[in-house]
Amino acid sequence: MDTVSFENMKRYVSPINPAVFPHLATVLLTIGTFFTAWFFIFVVSRKTTKEKTLIKELLISLCASIFLGFGIVFLLLTVGIYV
Amino acid sequence: MFKILYLFFFALQCLLCTSSTNAEIINTNVERLLDLSSQLVKTTIKISAEETTGKPITEYVFLVGEPNLSFISLKDDTEKNIQLRKNKELINGEQSYTIIFAKGSPKKSFAIETVSSKNIRPHPEEIEQNDKQLVRYNGRLYVYSKYKTVVQKTNVKLSSANILSHTQVKPYTVGSNKINLGPYEDVEALSEQELVIHYENQTPFLTVNALERTIELSHWGNIAIKEEIQLTHAGAKLKGSFSRYDFQKEGRSDHSAVKSYKTYLPASASGVYYRDTNGNISTSNMNLVRDFIELELRPRFPLFGGWKTKYTLGYNVPSYEYMYNDGNKYQLKMHLIDHIYDNMVIDEAVIKIILPEGCTNVQFSTPYQISRRPNQLVHTYLDTIGRPVVTFSKSNLVESHISDFTLNYSFEKVSLLQEPLLVSGFIYVIFLFTIVLLRLDFSITSHSHKE
Repeated sequence: MDTVSFENMKRYVSPINPAVFPHLATVLLTIGTFFTAWFFIFVVSRKTTKEKTLIKELLISLCASIFLGFGIVFLLLTVGIYV
Repeated sequence: MFKILYLFFFALQCLLCTSSTNAEIINTNVERLLDLSSQLVKTTIKISAEETTGKPITEYVFLVGEPNLSFISLKDDTEKNIQLRKNKELINGEQSYTIIFAKGSPKKSFAIETVSSKNIRPHPEEIEQNDKQLVRYNGRLYVYSKYKTVVQKTNVKLSSANILSHTQVKPYTVGSNKINLGPYEDVEALSEQELVIHYENQTPFLTVNALERTIELSHWGNIAIKEEIQLTHAGAKLKGSFSRYDFQKEGRSDHSAVKSYKTYLPASASGVYYRDTNGNISTSNMNLVRDFIELELRPRFPLFGGWKTKYTLGYNVPSYEYMYNDGNKYQLKMHLIDHIYDNMVIDEAVIKIILPEGCTNVQFSTPYQISRRPNQLVHTYLDTIGRPVVTFSKSNLVESHISDFTLNYSFEKVSLLQEPLLVSGFIYVIFLFTIVLLRLDFSITSHSHKE
């Protein structure tokens, strides 16, 4: 038994307080949805297919996916699916 | 040459060993407390031993003398440096333990506690719905010992004053729910005499046939515990049919049928659920008592002798109660099994600990011997390579086995980001797919726009 190291050990708390999970999920998902909406509005309102907007599209969708990804994980944690 | 010398020493050692055990140890006084008030046989034996030749006692062999031993421990209020070691070989077909004293002296006194299950049998084996449950205990009148005993007595505690019969070896006295046997003088070593007590015992004779306890760790600050329990009423079987009318009319609380029982959960438990294959069982009550949660569980039907039930009980506890860390080293310290009902008996328990993905260097220690099963991998939400599962089992457990195990492992904190990034990556792939799709031209006719 590793009792020596146990002496210096602290109680483990989550890096993010579980009490803020629902708020965090709401905020992140809202921002994520905003970016997603922007992305689709941007894409459909393009005048021609020849416009060079690829970099901008990639950046907006990257932001959207990161916010949505974290938002979904915190949503899962909020509802009790501890991943 | 060396071989011969070695043999010589070996022989000498053997001679010394046998001479030391041959030295006369006698039990000057033995007091036994036999608690038969529940379905378990709990004994506390206080032994005062003496070496007649005046040599210090270093080892004392204790014979268990009862089948189905679940738990044994030294109750040392007198001395600190005593060890209990299980002997491999049986003596007269009985399990034996050697008590090792660090400091030898010619006079020793110590107390041993044992708990055994399934030694109190219903007699008659089948009763009708309104009959009282009568049970019979078969044991030993004299404490089974390798050594001669000068004086010994036994105090038996029963569940009720209704004693039908008991072994009558004088002297004895019978109180309301107590029988005092002895003192018996000069009992020879290994002497056997049967003790039979036939009495009324209405306490719940519940046995957990199978317990599967799953502990799932999450580094997001939660430990989920799930217990799948299969229960049987192991008391006197129900003869004839069951009448709900009689059962409701009777309303006696000291009935052998089990209407409900109490489970104790840790005080920090939240999100408790109690369900079976049909769904939620709504007949349960939860009360927060000072330092634990009392959960009153009521099965879907009263449990009569021989009846079974199966259910799942689960709850969450916050990780700071049981998890410790230092850098990337983590430790989990929690109960191996938990309370299910008072004076419980568990035939077979399987405990699974699901660790987060990416755990390495798993080390495990338990307060008593368990049988480790091979490690597995499970796949749940947002898993890639699967979570490592530590599995082990143990049979014949009682309440005294509720104690902590320790599990050490290493985990990189960065791995926590794996799950959100996995979801992000998945969504990003959808976006990329959209971008590519919008750039493709699916039109059949080629027409030029004029803008």
